[in-house]
Amino acid sequence: MSRNTARRKVVASLATVALAATVAMVTGSVSASAATKKLTPQTGGTLTFLTHSPRLDHLDPTRIYTGRDLAFETAYFVRTLVSFKHVAGPTSTSLVPDLATNTGVPSNSAKQWRFTLRPGSKFQDGKDITCADVKYGVSRVFDQTVLGDGPTYMINWLDIPVDKSGSSIYQGPFSSSAAGIAAFDKAVICSADNRTITFKLGMSVGDFNYLLTYPVVSPVQKAHDLGDKYDLSPEATGPYMIKENTSAHLMLVRNPNWNKSSDPIRTPYPDQILLNYGLDQQVQDQIILSDSVPNAMSFDAPLPTNLKAFFESSSFKGGKLNEDTAFVGYIAFNVKKMPCLQIRAAMYYARNAKALLDYAGGPTYNGSYTTSLTSPLNTVDYAANGVWGPPNPDWKPEGNVAKAQALMDEAKTACPSEYKRVTTTGVTIDVRQSSTLTDTIPINKAAFARVGIVVNYNPISAGYYPTVMNASKQNDLSNSGWSQDWPNASTVIPPLYTPEGGFDLSQNTGEAIYPAFHAAVLKAIGTSNRAAQAAQWKALDKQAAAQFWVLPTLGIKTQVVWGTGVQGAYYWLPQGEPDYAKLWVTK
Amino acid sequence: MLTFVSRRLVYAAITLLIVSMAVYAIFAILPFDPAALTCGQHCTPLVIRANRIKLGFDKPLWEQYWMFLHGIFAGRTYGVGSAAFHCPAPAFGYSFNDNMCVTELLQQKLPITLSVAIGALILWLIVGVGLGILAARFKGRWPDTASSVFVLFGTSLPVFVTGLFLLIWVSIKWKIIPISFLGYVSVFSDPIGFVKLFILPWITLAFAFAALYTRFTRASILETLGEDYIRTARAKGLSEKKVLRIHTFRAALAPIVTLASLDFAGLIGGAILTETIFNLPGIGQWTLRSVYEFNLPVVVCTTILAAGVVIIMNLIVDMLYAVLDPRVRI
Amino acid sequence: MAVKIRKSRELSSSRASTGPIVGRSPKQIAWTRFKRNKVGVVSAIISVGVIVLSLLAPIVTRIIGVDPNTLHLDVLDVTGVPTLPHAGISMAHPLGLIPGTGRDLLAQLLYGSRISFMVAILTTSLTLFIGLVLGIVGGYFRGRVDAVLGRITDFLLSFPAFFMIVALSTPMVDRIQQTGIAKGNGARIVFLVFFLSFFGWPYFSRLIRSQAMSLRERDFVTAAQAMGSSNRRIIFRELLPNLWAPVIVFVSLSLPGYLAAESVFSFLGLGIQPPASTWGILLSNATRFVTTMPQFFIIVAGSLVLVVLAFNLTGDALRDALDPRNDR
Repeated sequence: MSRNTARRKVVASLATVALAATVAMVTGSVSASAATKKLTPQTGGTLTFLTHSPRLDHLDPTRIYTGRDLAFETAYFVRTLVSFKHVAGPTSTSLVPDLATNTGVPSNSAKQWRFTLRPGSKFQDGKDITCADVKYGVSRVFDQTVLGDGPTYMINWLDIPVDKSGSSIYQGPFSSSAAGIAAFDKAVICSADNRTITFKLGMSVGDFNYLLTYPVVSPVQKAHDLGDKYDLSPEATGPYMIKENTSAHLMLVRNPNWNKSSDPIRTPYPDQILLNYGLDQQVQDQIILSDSVPNAMSFDAPLPTNLKAFFESSSFKGGKLNEDTAFVGYIAFNVKKMPCLQIRAAMYYARNAKALLDYAGGPTYNGSYTTSLTSPLNTVDYAANGVWGPPNPDWKPEGNVAKAQALMDEAKTACPSEYKRVTTTGVTIDVRQSSTLTDTIPINKAAFARVGIVVNYNPISAGYYPTVMNASKQNDLSNSGWSQDWPNASTVIPPLYTPEGGFDLSQNTGEAIYPAFHAAVLKAIGTSNRAAQAAQWKALDKQAAAQFWVLPTLGIKTQVVWGTGVQGAYYWLPQGEPDYAKLWVTK
Repeated sequence: MLTFVSRRLVYAAITLLIVSMAVYAIFAILPFDPAALTCGQHCTPLVIRANRIKLGFDKPLWEQYWMFLHGIFAGRTYGVGSAAFHCPAPAFGYSFNDNMCVTELLQQKLPITLSVAIGALILWLIVGVGLGILAARFKGRWPDTASSVFVLFGTSLPVFVTGLFLLIWVSIKWKIIPISFLGYVSVFSDPIGFVKLFILPWITLAFAFAALYTRFTRASILETLGEDYIRTARAKGLSEKKVLRIHTFRAALAPIVTLASLDFAGLIGGAILTETIFNLPGIGQWTLRSVYEFNLPVVVCTTILAAGVVIIMNLIVDMLYAVLDPRVRI
Repeated sequence: MAVKIRKSRELSSSRASTGPIVGRSPKQIAWTRFKRNKVGVVSAIISVGVIVLSLLAPIVTRIIGVDPNTLHLDVLDVTGVPTLPHAGISMAHPLGLIPGTGRDLLAQLLYGSRISFMVAILTTSLTLFIGLVLGIVGGYFRGRVDAVLGRITDFLLSFPAFFMIVALSTPMVDRIQQTGIAKGNGARIVFLVFFLSFFGWPYFSRLIRSQAMSLRERDFVTAAQAMGSSNRRIIFRELLPNLWAPVIVFVSLSLPGYLAAESVFSFLGLGIQPPASTWGILLSNATRFVTTMPQFFIIVAGSLVLVVLAFNLTGDALRDALDPRNDR
């Protein structure tokens, strides 16, 4: 679900927010969602979603990558080969077959994976889904120039040679050389009956089948591919298809060529799904609060200012849930601009984490202090690293001014020029433009001022990530956040701490310990014994934490609210969203 | 008349061309790379370079502008090979964030903005001019005082205060005019739904504009009432009603028409606040969003459109004036 | 027609009491008329008062004993609303606390008004300057200069100004930062002031031009020309002193206009950015709390409306007083 989940919540954009945590708040508190009355699901009606986003990030299966989009689109119109289990509770992170009949058969020490397609599944135009369609769907991700934004693991993993510049010789279906096409045909193989697909990988990937829960591996008909434009109205394989996709809403209606017998997962009760874009957040909250549209569910967390009205007032009759997500907020230090470890550590200890946590709802609504870059929801790889948050005795929620001051005094002699800069002109923090900045900036300024650190803010309103990921534009610190793609720290530590992972904002490659760290990361990726791998991730997390390449803030909670007419909602851990596939409405 | 019209037409066309050049130049010499904003999360240099070429940002500025102009008349094709796509004329560019040609999007947005602007115009003319006449007719008495209070608040309350009040209390809390989710409906297919959707934005805008018109109408009528020919009419023994209806109102009409046309023109794209508050996906909201997202082709297109409407309205007003007011020689 | 009657009565009574007719300059007449307009006087006092309070914000807040930056995080509930009675309105905090951070609202309003007023005053001054210079040049010299200026004015008037400023905000602010003129909010203030006046001056310039054109034909100007006065002398000694009436009215009406404009741009998130505080930022902040703490929104919106209203009324009163044809 990647970094874009950040814009899910106002709170997350303020992920400037706090630090370490009360350790094992692993699974979310069982809240109102569990109390959903046992009613018989009804068929029919229109289920309405409200969002302030102007659109979904992507509809094209190859390009979907954000948690909410994944949960929504895979529930309604895109089927994947494998799926996370659609149940409440922690067992949901296990895999079940969807378009395939199994969850993958690995061979050759997980360098080769085989999946067989379920008979009877069709596209929205009535054509049978074949292995060739899946293969074509997989090929699309290779053309990053036309179909960007999706998960690119496939490009790194498939056994396709790379050219001198390090990019794959296969460039996707639109513009490839004969050699590229041949290499791709050798890496992705369809059986003679066009029902079984085999992936040949360049390395052992024990959790390869988790990638198949992403629509990036899903069937696309070559004849219907419109390139960039496919994003507007992709062909449906699920129980609903797109009827209208305008700048005001997305309307889904029943897909006549979907049949229940070939889909073990989805229970499409409503006749219609309507997703309304671009509402004002306050308006959105008021609609749910006043139950103006009983069949509506808010697609965004309510504004912090309205949390009390939703969760602590008896006058709100609709449904609600308040759960932990795997999203971890942090502020990346640009280590090239801030090489002084003492100052980085001082900023960590000086920060008033408690004030920021409380600002957006406290532990009840906002989240918990981060104790590791791996989310506690990943029970295998998670361990408090001992540097961040409550397990560290030096750390205090409202900031340990004495410790921070001591570090600053050290920095005065250890790195005098940076010390001078930090205490005079100050450091600049990149943040995404948000309405909560009015409040969080004063809180932060006051906290850092206690040890003489001056902070300035650079609010960016357009193209936040392209800006901060450009080394020449990135300032001293950049606000960010990340969520694991699936429960393995291989989708957290490599992306965030190594440049080839694609999201390393800390510019840490010049650090003295980096070469050894990098080698250890590569070793962990290739470790197929899960327990041994987890131990390596824990050690790496601890090692990086002590370097303060990032300043951790919060493990974020999410809230979802809906009107009295929406039923059957429960929290679905894999994407940190309600399980949209099971919702129904009482017209 | 014909020479006047053709001269004005040529002049308007030249102005529009200069405006488009100015707008294009302003946005093209930006300190950052528009291609870098076409992809969100995985903006590798490779993708940025490809998109730069696809959108023509690699070309020199004058060539980009030429391609832009050319596209308006002849359409434009982006990309190469099987992933290429075409925007038919008049093509104003391609919006990466929406995966759509700007013109296609414009077709979705324009009816909404026009509905907002036309409805508000009618409402504020009725209220504003009506109150203005009342105030002038009963000058110094309570209707005049009441209308001046209205004027004061109308001119001083920002649109977002009235708009938010109407939306949150009148619509959502009190459910007097419940919020509609059906999206845009045409006045011809569903007149009631249409009015329900737009009535609050109309009131919001009309409240702000009507105040100006009340003040303007009142002043304009009072000024005309001071003219000699009105005194003559009164001296002739004409009833006050007749004086007002026949002599005064007609003379006061011309400047109101001018003002209304220009205000109307300004609303095409200028109703940014109203469209944003009421979530009407019109030109204004679209532009604001594109500014946030830095969606260059959209901003260029809407800016030129908004300026174009003002220029054309000016032209129409000039011609109307020639017709309405015989004193204007052309 | 009540006013007319009153006026004539006043005239006759002044004649009766003072005996010989005393000549009064237009300024004196205007001043007398202005003083008679009670609403105008009250509004003018409020307007001037607000500006003074704003300029002296640091002193005023110290006297009242409030501080704009002190956080009171401990008195806020989970949604950020102060848990104190009356939303924190007390002797210590006359207008209460701002939800979210618990800062003092009165102090924030006072400090916030400084940037808002600064933008409004700078923009008005710049507009005034450009409009005066170009208006006089066009109206007085006529000919080709006037024709070119006229074209430019027409051209600028055909730009939708509000729209252009919205569209240009991000790129232009970046550009200003790059040139190094100003950083951060400095750049945003420069942008707002520059573009608001860039699109604002043509209106004013047109007014001045027509005034200058008619003044040019007046006897005293013809006389000065006949006496061989230089153009410069005529402009500075004959024209400018006679243009003060439109200037005063323009200032009093455009100040509230630009004040409101600043709040709109901040409301849209395109103007000044936090941590700086302006009325627009306070307002957009208040909309988030409009249902949970309506006092905040009402106080901030009310203050803005009050100030805009006061300025507008002052402007109206000034115009009435200065315009001899106006009989209201």
